[in-house]
Amino acid sequence: MFEVLEGGIQTTVQDYPGRVGYLDLGTYPAGPMDHFAFRVANLLVGNAQGAPALEVTAGGLKARFHDRRAVAITGADMQPALNGKPAPLWEAFAVGPDDRLEFRTITGAGFRSCLAVSGAFDVPEYMGSRATFTVGGFGGFEGRGLKKGDRVSLGAAASPEKVVGRRLRAALRPQYGTQWEIEAMRGPQADPDYMTAGDMEFFFSHAWKVDRNSNRMGVRLESHKWQWARQSGGVAGGHPSNILDNGYAVWTVNVCGDQPIILVADGPSLGGFICNATLIYASTWKVGQLVPGRDTIRFKEVTIDEATRLAGAIDETIAERSIERG
Amino acid sequence: MPDMRDGNRAIVDVLEATAERPRVLYRYAGDRFILVEYGDMVLDLTTNFRIFGLNDALKKARLDGLVETVPALRSILIHYDSRKLPTRMLVDTLKKMEDAVPSGENLNIPSRRVELPIAFADRWTRADIERYVKYTRQDAPNIVNGHNIEYIAQYNGLESAREVVDYICATEWWNACIGFWPGLPFMFPLDPRYAIVTPKYNPTRPWTPEGAVGIGGPCVAIYPVQSPGGYQLFGRTIPIFDLKQRNPAFKANPILLKPADRIQWVPVTDEQLESIREQVYAGTYRYKIVAYEALNVKSYLGLLDGIRGEVLAFQARQAEAVKHVAIP
Repeated sequence: MFEVLEGGIQTTVQDYPGRVGYLDLGTYPAGPMDHFAFRVANLLVGNAQGAPALEVTAGGLKARFHDRRAVAITGADMQPALNGKPAPLWEAFAVGPDDRLEFRTITGAGFRSCLAVSGAFDVPEYMGSRATFTVGGFGGFEGRGLKKGDRVSLGAAASPEKVVGRRLRAALRPQYGTQWEIEAMRGPQADPDYMTAGDMEFFFSHAWKVDRNSNRMGVRLESHKWQWARQSGGVAGGHPSNILDNGYAVWTVNVCGDQPIILVADGPSLGGFICNATLIYASTWKVGQLVPGRDTIRFKEVTIDEATRLAGAIDETIAERSIERG
Repeated sequence: MPDMRDGNRAIVDVLEATAERPRVLYRYAGDRFILVEYGDMVLDLTTNFRIFGLNDALKKARLDGLVETVPALRSILIHYDSRKLPTRMLVDTLKKMEDAVPSGENLNIPSRRVELPIAFADRWTRADIERYVKYTRQDAPNIVNGHNIEYIAQYNGLESAREVVDYICATEWWNACIGFWPGLPFMFPLDPRYAIVTPKYNPTRPWTPEGAVGIGGPCVAIYPVQSPGGYQLFGRTIPIFDLKQRNPAFKANPILLKPADRIQWVPVTDEQLESIREQVYAGTYRYKIVAYEALNVKSYLGLLDGIRGEVLAFQARQAEAVKHVAIP
């Protein structure tokens, strides 16, 4: 059992790849904002990569353990401490009854931590997944973020000694900064039919500031006066960003009037605005680490072939061969 | 027609139009999705029917690496694993499938008929509209006698709220797609003689009761949960989303409606609606769903041919009415 002493800013149970298969019923997949850190945390403690674990946003989680477990913390450095002493990152360590684990706050780069516990968090499956969908208020632990007094069940686990000391090779740990380069593909609605070539050139060269008002639904970027290739949206609405409603790919860049918004884990599944670019499988994890109101993004255009190669590379990294024992 | 691919790196491929079907564009949406888009940016239910024809064929084909599909008004978004099913192979398969999907005339689309009770200009939507006037906009022209239903009548050249009710109940409503919020349907009248339209709220309404039914542009939606909204409200129905799955209709998941459902509205009083809603949550109400029906596109197109004059007459009546009505 995992006892929550403080829930922090936003701490949710997630699983990977989340609630897949319900887009046509209006439900985005939820799941971790940074699937790299999330899957590695599970791998370190000997869980399946997609097993239910916690996503800790911006810090503040305090918890008490009631039995012996291996745990791993990955992602942003929130100066985690076990009974007041610094706990390692990207490395499995043991906890026991009455041990207290605390996350402070983000001080440097990165915005989300993942906490995996051997045996995994045991919450009910809802529509095929244990991921918390914050918009609909379902999945995860009672469909919401964790708060003081919550007691979350844990699954049966092997002895922690088997995995303690496992860590991701140092060279493979992502280096977070404040200025990000995020790979994306042009489309579905780009130039020359919706935007001008100049608009897209600006999109792929500008350092976009991440808006303070960003969350698990959308990561907002700054507004921009686009030139647009069309004068209006015609039957779909007055503004040239309007189209007849269509399905939104997960991790696409939705241009609502002037403002681009990256639609993320808990986003809307369908709507009537163009999407001028879409992140690729290998780059979406970076979005989970963007600090709102501070970080900037440059989008780097890649082809489908490059995207496929990068997808293979990231999945090969999240594997047993990337683990060493300290 | 210039080749759409010229200088358009967002487009994977194009299938030019034939006598049987509109042009099809295959657009990249990252490395896990492609957006398949039909014809021009016009609202045409026959295009939407074709999309369901392809959607049905795709589901039956059980392609390895195909994850899911999202049919919408004139497009279908395809979620796939590009490492199992390379983009090129997927697009080539889809192009071949277009030739195999029967032309509109010969399509039979699996479609459930769903009867939903509705209380028109009910007390719950009335209460939230009253709050809107009090706290958001006092002089909203879309609120007449404390509700939107008379404004809907004025905007469409109908005589009264009573005639709005008659129009809404005179046709089945085609659920072209679901989205934005879990379970939220986007519905259009199958009989265009009753195709009412409205502008949306300005500014939007901070509150809408769960189960409220409204219209924005040509599209009717049901609010699955209490939420903000921008559609002109005309009534309230029974739950179409229940997290707690308290009724057998929600056994598989909390979402009642599916794309390609046809909704028939059945008027009830506020008191009847309240009673049915209680039975829904008690698990004793049986939703009226006929699952085995199909929409035959040929007979539908035949209906359209027969009513063309009436449709044009209503459109003329609407165009005249709009001149005398304020826009929110």
